[in-house]
Amino acid sequence: MSKNRVAICGVGQSARYQTKLKCSMAGLVREAALAALADAGCDWSDIDALIIGKAPDMFEGVVMPEAYLAEALGGVNKPVIRVHTAGSVGGSTAMVAASHIKSGLFRRVLTVAFEKQSESNAHWALSPSMPFRPHFNSGAGGMFAPVIREYMRRSGAPDDVGCHVAVKDRRHALRNPHAHLHLPDIDLQTVKDSPMLWEPTRFLESCPSSDGACAMVMSCEQLADSGKNPPAWIHAMAMRSEPSFYPWREEVSPLASRECAQDLYAQAGITNPRRDLDMAEVYVPFSWFEPIWLESLGFAEQGEGWRLTLDGSTSLDENGDIPWNCSGGVLSSNPIGASGMIRFAEAALQVRGLADKRQVDGAKKALGHAYGGHSQFFAMWIVGTDKP
Amino acid sequence: MNSSSSNQILEADFELGFTYTRSPGIIIGKFLAALKQKKLYGIRGSDGSVLFPPTEYDPRTAASLNDFVPVSAEGEIVSWTWIETPREHHQVKGPFAFALIKLDGADTPFLHRLFCDDASSISAGMKVKVDWNDDRCGAITDIRGFVPLTATVGNF
Repeated sequence: MSKNRVAICGVGQSARYQTKLKCSMAGLVREAALAALADAGCDWSDIDALIIGKAPDMFEGVVMPEAYLAEALGGVNKPVIRVHTAGSVGGSTAMVAASHIKSGLFRRVLTVAFEKQSESNAHWALSPSMPFRPHFNSGAGGMFAPVIREYMRRSGAPDDVGCHVAVKDRRHALRNPHAHLHLPDIDLQTVKDSPMLWEPTRFLESCPSSDGACAMVMSCEQLADSGKNPPAWIHAMAMRSEPSFYPWREEVSPLASRECAQDLYAQAGITNPRRDLDMAEVYVPFSWFEPIWLESLGFAEQGEGWRLTLDGSTSLDENGDIPWNCSGGVLSSNPIGASGMIRFAEAALQVRGLADKRQVDGAKKALGHAYGGHSQFFAMWIVGTDKP
Repeated sequence: MNSSSSNQILEADFELGFTYTRSPGIIIGKFLAALKQKKLYGIRGSDGSVLFPPTEYDPRTAASLNDFVPVSAEGEIVSWTWIETPREHHQVKGPFAFALIKLDGADTPFLHRLFCDDASSISAGMKVKVDWNDDRCGAITDIRGFVPLTATVGNF
């Protein structure tokens, strides 16, 4: 990292990531932004620039919503920048915001990411009917299921690992008032009995369609003490991309994922992520992506990630040594454009000691992760309690 | 594929069919619902000026706004552009103008259609009134357009 340190001084989220038919898109982002400003002890006038992220405009059919949202976010007469990297956009938006502090261009920025899935059906917006192309309506679940099958074949993992992830993350969600899904009675049998959507992925192994926004206030070191709560410090950030399909593409553990993680760990001086990190918020929209990313991100050897899930290592309820997705994760709330930023923000809350009932005791270093497109866009950061 | 078509550059019509739900929210929702009753509401901004159509948040201070102010169905032309030959997409048969109109009681102009006999009859400051649609559903198009204050509604 260069000498300009970046502090996360405020985090705000929708009170709950559920359908909000009475709320406009402006009202949606506003709620999260005000909460982040309050956490940071700031007002609109303290903000130098606004960095907004969301997934494709086609999801809600509002083209360039950032222009219409400027006044709701106090962005009038300030630089307003939109970031767009599909499902990973919440993460890359946070990184773009942080980069502007790191560069010294701005001293304090507000970053907001959102999605209002109730205004459309984003799942099918991913699969429009186009000339000269077959119209499969596969959705994200249909695209990822064959990748999951290949992971199962290679690893020899038991068939119900995904069901275990689904239960674990939904139990974590019960600790998080912001989570969309609160399913107090969930157990392994309920998940196994839920409808098979894209074999081997069941209904309860899939993320919900959520409305919500997440916001953060980031500052340079000189302004880091604006709020009553301690800030989180960014220790490392990395972003990578690759095409959807190309010859010799590794689809289960894409090259962009592995190289992004290696770059990140090198910046933060991490040699063993399972040992060196206290928790991780990782983008797991379909259950089996927990073991897939455990391996791709170096928390487990190839073919061994599923063992961490089954032995409780990633569970807060079972006092696992490396809890994953204490917030309930994407499996419990998926306002797509915001989902990456929620991962990044939850990691920050953990190292600030502000994660309430979902807090990992003494968490000092955490990973925030997002991916998007056809497993082709990756954004990751490591945040810590201490200055880097 | 025969030899003649092998050199052809393929082309196809593409109509993107996708439906959305709109949630205008409480503030804009109230404004739209009032149009159905032929009522026009602006909203008072932080500096006391009346914004029409209403915004949820103040453009200068970002404060939440909720002080609705009734405004008149009459106002004046601020500026305009004359469309002598409307295209199919204008959804208007004869010549008309796009005009910036400031309603009495409002401090901001907004863009709508102006129907009148010819371009030479339009001037800045000209008085106009709303030409309501007979079928109103709570949309900005409940206002069909504007006509000169002295004109008979429905003539255009």
